[in-house]
Amino acid sequence: MTENRLPLNRRQFLATTAAAGIGVIAAPHIARADAATLRITGWGGKWGQTMSSELIPAFEKEFKCKVETDTALPFLPKLQASSRSAPVYDVLHTNSNEQWAALEMGIVEAKIDAKQVPNIADVYPYAISDKIVGVCIFTSAIGLGMRTDKGYGKVSSWKDLWDRAYDGVRGGYVIPLNSLGQAFLMMSGALYGKGMTDLDAAYASMEKLKPIKLVDFTGTMEKMILSGELGIAVLHDSGILRYDDQKQPTAFVAPSEGVLALEQVLALTAGTKVRELANAYVNYMLSPSVQKTLAESVWYSPANSKVKLDDKYNDRLLTTPEKVAKLIQLDWKWYNARKDEIDARVNRIFRA
Amino acid sequence: MSAVRTGVTPIAWLIAPSALLFALFFFLPMGLMAMISLLTGNPVVQPHVTFTGKYYQRILSDPYYFEVIWTTLRIGLLTTVTALLVGYPLAHWMARIRGRTAYAVLMMTVLTPMLTGIVVRTFAWMALLSDKGAINQTLTGLGLISKPLPLMYNEFSIVLGLTHIYVPYMVLTLVGVIGRIDERLEHAAQNLGASPLRAFLEVTLPLSLPGILAGSLLVFALAISAYVTPILMGGFQIMTLPMLIYQQISSSFNVGFAAALGMVLLAISLVLVIAYNRILGLVSGQRDLQ
Amino acid sequence: MTAAPFSFRLGRFCYLALNVAVVVFLLAPIAIVFVFAVNPTPYIQFPPVGVSLRWFQKFFSSRDFMNALQLSLEVAVMTTIAATLFGASAALALARGGLPGTRVITAIMLSPLMLPAILTGLALFQTYVLLDVGRPLWGLVLGHTLVSIPYVVRTTLAVLQNFDTRLEEAARNLGAGSLRTYFEVTLPLTKPGVMAGAVFAFIVSFDQFPVSLFLVSPGHETLPITLFNYLKFDLDGTIGAASVVSILLALLVVFGLDRTVGLRSYAKL
Repeated sequence: MTENRLPLNRRQFLATTAAAGIGVIAAPHIARADAATLRITGWGGKWGQTMSSELIPAFEKEFKCKVETDTALPFLPKLQASSRSAPVYDVLHTNSNEQWAALEMGIVEAKIDAKQVPNIADVYPYAISDKIVGVCIFTSAIGLGMRTDKGYGKVSSWKDLWDRAYDGVRGGYVIPLNSLGQAFLMMSGALYGKGMTDLDAAYASMEKLKPIKLVDFTGTMEKMILSGELGIAVLHDSGILRYDDQKQPTAFVAPSEGVLALEQVLALTAGTKVRELANAYVNYMLSPSVQKTLAESVWYSPANSKVKLDDKYNDRLLTTPEKVAKLIQLDWKWYNARKDEIDARVNRIFRA
Repeated sequence: MSAVRTGVTPIAWLIAPSALLFALFFFLPMGLMAMISLLTGNPVVQPHVTFTGKYYQRILSDPYYFEVIWTTLRIGLLTTVTALLVGYPLAHWMARIRGRTAYAVLMMTVLTPMLTGIVVRTFAWMALLSDKGAINQTLTGLGLISKPLPLMYNEFSIVLGLTHIYVPYMVLTLVGVIGRIDERLEHAAQNLGASPLRAFLEVTLPLSLPGILAGSLLVFALAISAYVTPILMGGFQIMTLPMLIYQQISSSFNVGFAAALGMVLLAISLVLVIAYNRILGLVSGQRDLQ
Repeated sequence: MTAAPFSFRLGRFCYLALNVAVVVFLLAPIAIVFVFAVNPTPYIQFPPVGVSLRWFQKFFSSRDFMNALQLSLEVAVMTTIAATLFGASAALALARGGLPGTRVITAIMLSPLMLPAILTGLALFQTYVLLDVGRPLWGLVLGHTLVSIPYVVRTTLAVLQNFDTRLEEAARNLGAGSLRTYFEVTLPLTKPGVMAGAVFAFIVSFDQFPVSLFLVSPGHETLPITLFNYLKFDLDGTIGAASVVSILLALLVVFGLDRTVGLRSYAKL
C-alpha cells in the first residue's frame, strides 16, 4: 500500500526543497560584488529597453558602479514610505507634478548643484525654470492625437475636442492619476474661463466633455488610438510620433492655443548616500550623446540645447529656442495644494 | 460516545508558528496602518506627528464616500450571486461525474482562469468587450448592430470580470461539499416519488448550504477588496473602495486617508464574517465549515 | 424501470447545456488570449489576421520576462511550502487543539483575505522599513505566504472538521499514542485538504500583484508586475504569449499534483 510510504517521502521532499530554497535565496547575496550602488527609477517600454541595453551598462562601466532601476510603478509612495536617511532611491525620475509633491514632502532636493552637473549650463531655460524641481531632462508637447482615416474635419484648436461629432470616440485621462489629465484640466480653465486657475470654468467644461473614455496612462491611450477604439484624444507628441515608422493613420495636432509641457524630471533624494554618483548620473543623462539616443528612441524633445538630432526628429520635436518658447509650463505647486478637492470634484463629474 | 475534550491538548502548540508569523507580519503592519489612520503623518519616517480624526471625519461627512462604499458592496453582492449561479451547476456536475479523466479535465477547466493571471485575464476581457473587440466586431460583421455595444467601462464589465475570476473559487469550495453529500440520499428521495428537481431542491441544496455560505463569503470578501480588475474593466468611472485606496496611495500620497479607508473596509469585512458565522451556526447546527 | 419521461430528459439537457455554457464562459477569455498570442498585429484586433510565433519568440528572448517567470515560480514554490506548513499546522491546532476562542482565532487567520492587498503590501513595506531590512526576497515570500495561508487553513479545516473522528479514537483504543495516531491516521486523511490548499497557495502566489508591487526589489520583478508594466507601456501579443506559457506551466504542475496525490480524493472525503 503506497499510503504508508507517503509521509516519509513527503518529509524528505520537503527537506530537500527547503534546502534548495535556502540555497536559491542565499546565492544572489553571495554573488553580488561590493560596488557602489545607484538606485534610480525608470519607465518601461522603449525607454526601459534603451536604458537597460545601452545607456545604463555604459554608465556602470564608466563610473565603476552598479545601477538598480525600479520599474514597478508607482514610485513616490515607496519613496514616501521609506526612511528619510535611507531612501529607496537616490535619483527620482518622474513627471513634474510628482516632483513638486515630493518636494512638498521634503524627500527630494529643490535644485541641482550646477557645479556638480556641468551639462546643466547647456539646457534650455525651461529645464531649470522656477516651475521645475531638480532638472528637466526631456519634454514632450501635450496636444491632441487623432486618426486621419475617419474623415474628421480640420482640427486646430483644443476646443475641437468638445465637438459632438467625436462622442463615443473621445479619449481623456483619469485626472487624479495622470499629469496629462491634470494639465488638460488647467488648460480648460484657460480656454473657457479666466485662466489656468479658474477651476469652476474648468469643471463646467469637463461636464460638457462627456461622453468620454478615460484611461490612466498614455500607453493605453496610444494603443486605443491605434486600434481605432478612439478617434481623438489628449496625447503628447511622443505618443503619436513613436509609431512613425509603422505608417499608422494617426497624427499629432499642436493646438493653436498652445501646447502643454509634459516634463521628464530628475531630482536627487534628500537622504541619498551616493551624492557624487547621483550627480554624475544626472550629468550623464544631460550629456548630448545620451540625450540624442533617448530622444530618437522615444521621440522626446531633449532639454540640452546643444543636441543635434537627425533631420526627421529635428523637424518635429521642440529643438529650437523658438519652438520651446511656445511650451506652456504648469504651476504644479498651485495644483498640488488643491489636488484633494480637485480629485473629489472630478471623481464625481466623471462617474458613470 | 465520543471522547470528551477536556481542554487544551499538546496539538494546540502547532498554532505557535502561525501565531508568531501573524503577530510580527500582520498585526504589526496592520496596527501601524490603523495608527497612521489616526495620525497626521507616518510615525515611522516623520518626526512630528499628532493625533487627528480628520480622515474618519472626511469619510463620515461626505456622502460621496457612502456612495463608494455602497458601490463596493453592491458589486460584491452582484459578483457573489452571479458566481454562485454560474458555479453551482458546474460544481454539482464535477462532484457527481464518473471517471477520473473527466473529473481531471473539468478541474483543469476550472483552474485555468485562475492560472491565467489577473492582468492577462483582464486584458482578454478588454479584447472581448471593447468597441473594437471580438464581440462587437462579430455582431457588427453579422449586421446585427450598427453601433458598438457599451460592454466595457461600466458596472456590467466589472461584475463580469470579477465573476470570471472568482467562479473557480466558488466551484472548488462547493465541489468538496457536494461531493460529501451521499448520493444515496438523492436516490432515496427519488425512489420515494420525488422528481430529480425536487430531490435536488429538498435534499441536495439544503445539505450543500454550508458550502454555499462558505463559497459566498470567500467570493464576497475577495470581490470587495479587488482593485486591479475594477480599474481595468471600469475605467475609473465606477469607483470602489479599494480603487479609492489605490488612488490615495499612488497619486494623492495621502497614506493616512488611505489607511482610514482601509480600516473601514476591514471593519465591514469583519462584520460580515461574524454575521456569516452566526447564520452558519443557525443553519447547520454545531458544525463550523469555513 | 420505464423509459425516462420527457421532462426528465429536458431537465437533463438543460443541466448539461447550462454547464457547457459555464465552461464556455470560463474558457472564452483564455481562447482569446491564445488567439492574440498568435496574431501578428501589435494591438487588439479582431478578427485576427494570421498565425505567427513572433510573440513567443519575443517572450522567450526577453531577459526581463524570463527572469520574472523564474522568480515567480521560485517564489510560488517557496510560498506554497511555507503556507502549507504554517496553514496546515494552524488548522490542526484549531481543529484538535481545544484552544479557547477557536472561532476568533480562525477568523483572524482568514482576515488577510478581507483586506485589499495593496494595503497589506504597503503595510508590510512600512514594517520592513521599520525593521530596516530593505526589500529582501524572504520579505516578498513572507508577504505572499501571509495572503496564501487563509486558503490552506480553509481547506484543511474543512477536511478536519468533517472526517470521522471515530477513526482517530479507534486507533487510540487500539493502543496508538497520539503522535502515532496523528501521523498514521489524521495526516494521510487530511492530505487531500492540505493539497487542495497547497494548489490554492501556489496559484495565489504565482498570480499575486498588489503585495508584490511594494515588496519586489529593482530588477527582481515577478511576472504579474512585468506583465502589468508591459500592458501599460507596450501592450502587444507578448502578453498573450506570456500567458499561454504560464497556463501550460501551471497546468503541468496541477497535472503532476493530480498524478501523485490525486485531487479527486479531496471531494470524496
